[in-house]
Amino acid sequence: MSIEIESKDVDVRKIMADIRERIAEKKRGLYTDEEIREIAERKLEAVLESRQFNPDFLKDFKTKSEVWNYTFNPETIYRTSRGGVGGLLGSIRNLLKPIQKLFWNPTPMIAALSRQSDLNQYTVQMLHNLTLELTRMNLEVQELRARLQQTDASLEELRKRERALESLAVLKDQPKATS
Amino acid sequence: MTSKLKLAFVVQRYGVEIAGGAEYHCRLIAELLRDHADVEVFTTCALDYVEWKNHYPEGETVLNGVRVHRFRVERQREILRFARLSKALESPVHTGADEEAWMDEQGPYAPALRDHVAKLAAEGSYDSLIFFSYRYWSTCRLLTDSRTPAILAPTAEDDGLYRLSLFRTLFDSVTQYAFNSVEERQMLEASMGKALPGEIVGVGSDLPSSVHGEAFRKNFGIEGPFLLYVGRIDLNKGCPELFDHFLRYRAETGSQLNLVLIGRAVLDLPKDDSVKALGFLDDSDKWDALSECLALAIPSRLESLSMVTLEAFWAERPVVANAACAVLRGQCRRSGGGLYYSNYDEFREVLQVLEGDGSLRARMGRAGHRYFEEHYAWPVILEKYLRLIEAARRAKKAA
Repeated sequence: MSIEIESKDVDVRKIMADIRERIAEKKRGLYTDEEIREIAERKLEAVLESRQFNPDFLKDFKTKSEVWNYTFNPETIYRTSRGGVGGLLGSIRNLLKPIQKLFWNPTPMIAALSRQSDLNQYTVQMLHNLTLELTRMNLEVQELRARLQQTDASLEELRKRERALESLAVLKDQPKATS
Repeated sequence: MTSKLKLAFVVQRYGVEIAGGAEYHCRLIAELLRDHADVEVFTTCALDYVEWKNHYPEGETVLNGVRVHRFRVERQREILRFARLSKALESPVHTGADEEAWMDEQGPYAPALRDHVAKLAAEGSYDSLIFFSYRYWSTCRLLTDSRTPAILAPTAEDDGLYRLSLFRTLFDSVTQYAFNSVEERQMLEASMGKALPGEIVGVGSDLPSSVHGEAFRKNFGIEGPFLLYVGRIDLNKGCPELFDHFLRYRAETGSQLNLVLIGRAVLDLPKDDSVKALGFLDDSDKWDALSECLALAIPSRLESLSMVTLEAFWAERPVVANAACAVLRGQCRRSGGGLYYSNYDEFREVLQVLEGDGSLRARMGRAGHRYFEEHYAWPVILEKYLRLIEAARRAKKAA
């Protein structure tokens, strides 16, 4: 009868279970989303800084969309930035709105600019997602390249072994010299 | 007053030039028992294990205080014929004649050795005949049911060979088994469908009186932490996989770990500065390397014991073993002195854990050392062998 008593000092099974759990965690994605985001942003920072962008631009780009984009709605073109006097000016513009519309139709321009503002927001969002995807694919390509190298090395090893066995077979098959 | 025990060891090769495997195991046990018994060894003149070419002179000699009787190998192994016969055994419908033909080609074919041992066994003048390695002609044809108790150290690996029908007769003729591991015992008992008599014994090691790690680093120009491999650098030992895993680990993690290889290389080594092959070194250098390494790598899938694993345990160094080998996996769990991997991801995590956690390495080292002292120290091995010999004598008497 065989009895197996495992070490009480170091629980090898537990250590191996933890290791496998960590691997499974990593395998849920090649990298976690957080890791990919971190890598992608690091790459983006490198690109932007190398082209000497305004150092604050990147921070603003990621946090405050109003810095690089504009907000637009039908009232925007009638607003002013002149404080109390501006309020009076805004009221006069509102009163003259019907007369103004006799000379030109501002509605298509308002619609176009509003749409462009939204498009800017979408484009940036899309660029961000593309960067994430590209990073993810780059990592997968690196992983596949490493596996390919490994397979090549194994194949080369098998070829060498095959050649060695073939040469042995040739030697064995040669008739022995007779004196 | 009781008379001194009389023991005969039978093994396929025997000599100080053989630094590993069942033959080395046999020599260590014979030399261990020489102070407690009249020990003689019966073996062939072969040194080479591929074709069994006669190397040593035929006749009697004394080696390290043990009398050795050598007999000529009468027919060398034909490698291609042996390969063909081995292939035939893979067929599920192979015959008993196929197995017999395979065994005769397996060798070492030494009829004079067989006749001499058969005569000794029939006379019953020895307390035990102790055989090493079940798979060779020198055990399969010589270990038969006789007046003399027969002890077998099977040194079986998980390669399925032990399931051949011709070994059933052999296994049934054994009086007591000296198993190397729990897994080896379970494997053979499952194959035979019954419990087998014997003990899990294994073997000790020639331990150094002191180690000089710094001198080793200086002599061989080794800097920084290193993973150590000791043994023949061979495809069958899993070395290509170890190289792939190791180089990938370094590339991916930026680790500064080196891989130091001790042993004769029979395949091309990676051309990378982090892989340092030192060739065949003597025992003192091996112990110095073991004392300095971060861990010992054992990438082999087939091991019946792995003496170097036990030596790493003694040296308080953790082992990184191939999980495909049940014996290594079991040794790691029982000792607490090693971790194992079954793919690259596990190899990477295991190395990261060991590199990053010095206190775990120290705990594993202590656990491995304690395991060695409890199970593989020479006094323990000696006691087990004396117990086995006594059990074999009693069993033979009762039969």
